[in-house]
Amino acid sequence: MADLNVTLCGKELKNPVIPASGTFGFGREFNEIYDISILGGVCTKGLTLEPRIGNPVPRIAESRGVILNAVGLQNPGVEKFIAEDLEWLKSKTRVIANVAGSTLEDYAKICARLDGKVDFIELNISCPNVKCGGMAFGIRPESIKEVTAAAKKNLKQTPLIVKLSPNVESISANARAAEEGGADCISLVNTFTGMAIDIERRKPVIANNTGGVSGAGIKPIAVRMVYEAAQAVSIPVIGMGGITCAEDAIEFLMAGAVAVQVGTQNFTDTLACPKIIGGLKAWCEKHGVKKVSELTGALKLN
Amino acid sequence: MREVTATILENVKIAEDIYSLTFYTEEVIPVRAGQFCMIGVGAHALRRPIAICKAEGERITVCYRLKGAGTRSLASDYKAGEKLSVLLPLGNGFALSENQKKIAIVGGGVGIFPLISAIREFADKKEIYAYMGFKSRGAVCMELEMQRAKKFVLATDDGSEGYHGTAVEAFMNEFDTVKPDAVLACGPTPMLRALKEATKDKGIPVYVSLEERMGCGIGACLVCVCGKKDGSRARVCKDGPVFEASEVEL
Repeated sequence: MADLNVTLCGKELKNPVIPASGTFGFGREFNEIYDISILGGVCTKGLTLEPRIGNPVPRIAESRGVILNAVGLQNPGVEKFIAEDLEWLKSKTRVIANVAGSTLEDYAKICARLDGKVDFIELNISCPNVKCGGMAFGIRPESIKEVTAAAKKNLKQTPLIVKLSPNVESISANARAAEEGGADCISLVNTFTGMAIDIERRKPVIANNTGGVSGAGIKPIAVRMVYEAAQAVSIPVIGMGGITCAEDAIEFLMAGAVAVQVGTQNFTDTLACPKIIGGLKAWCEKHGVKKVSELTGALKLN
Repeated sequence: MREVTATILENVKIAEDIYSLTFYTEEVIPVRAGQFCMIGVGAHALRRPIAICKAEGERITVCYRLKGAGTRSLASDYKAGEKLSVLLPLGNGFALSENQKKIAIVGGGVGIFPLISAIREFADKKEIYAYMGFKSRGAVCMELEMQRAKKFVLATDDGSEGYHGTAVEAFMNEFDTVKPDAVLACGPTPMLRALKEATKDKGIPVYVSLEERMGCGIGACLVCVCGKKDGSRARVCKDGPVFEASEVEL
């Protein structure tokens, strides 16, 4: 039996498969379809200090091999999450709280509020779909370092993951900036900013005009970026971007990721995460891999 | 709600740009009137949300209009005997109380299909008055299903068959004689808006089934929201697709 356990910032995950922020709510809906306690963890919908109503609809579009979304961080606010969902979710699996804000102070405050309550915090500085904050913090190394430090200062117990945007000049420089700011881990990639046009209406399909591109079509770019980021830092990396099956997940592990997140595929196939976990186990057994963690960074360049 | 691999029994054109797809599920899946399913189509990343029109034991029928690449692929690439990945049943569906006895059903475009499930469910228990609008004669389909209603009025935009005008107009012409206890409606947003406006002082509940572009279909991703009267957002896929018209922004 292959061992799927991985250790992330000193905490054990029963396997490296985590549904990505924004595709999984707080887990309750998917738990009606399968028991989500089989997952390595759950990354929550992006949380802010106050509730947000998000962008106008349509918020989603499809293009060949990818989707675009611009939900705009609609969420019930961190307090409601703590009151209504956190304990339940913790009883199931590791909880990664994805948090966002408009100012440095927002990030610092929400981290303080969640410190010690969740297993990990994932700093969302890469959301392309909100006007201020979000990706604005995630483009330049200086601001990445600054917002990471502001968050880290308020985290005495909970490890900090910084989620990086791919819409940048140098992913290596940004990964290093997160590490220098005090990040315990980085995750990447968030979505690529894109546009889909309804040619009959001569208008963008999405009300927000632009949206974040995700799904199978972005995978090779994401794998390359995960590889470059993993080379640039000594903290662990969580890889994501277009994972649809166990083999895709293994590419990310080999590129240097300790764990992976699965997003869009949860829409294509509600059972995507359980299938990927099953597929990882089968692949490891077939290839004589005793521990899935052996695959991290196993890539040998030509 | 669950994900099943269904077997296609039939996938045929029944009107201009409209297809009827019947599939077989291994076991009976209980479906309420007005619920929908998400169908996986080829390599498309997003499933297509489609209203359930008929549920007869293990046989489920949905009807769809050719609209984009997904529905075109569904129509041309999926034949009887082939497998289909379906997530169902989804959404709240139509619910009526005991004291709502006279029910008006107002539909237009592809909105008529979830309403057929309502006619089938309530025809034996309620007095149903159905007003169904089509673009023209060529778009008319499923008349036999609509004739299960106590009264059925067919309307066409161009007057090529039945009442010349919209389903809402046909319904409002008869409102005072029918005096319905509740209205069930589905159709294009301008139609629902007109219905909401026309019935706002009538003092009866109007339940509308909404359509929106969806992501997960089960309430997790917050893609398919609609505005509520109190300024909050509701999920069309999970809190709806049926809402009381006065509660939502149209």
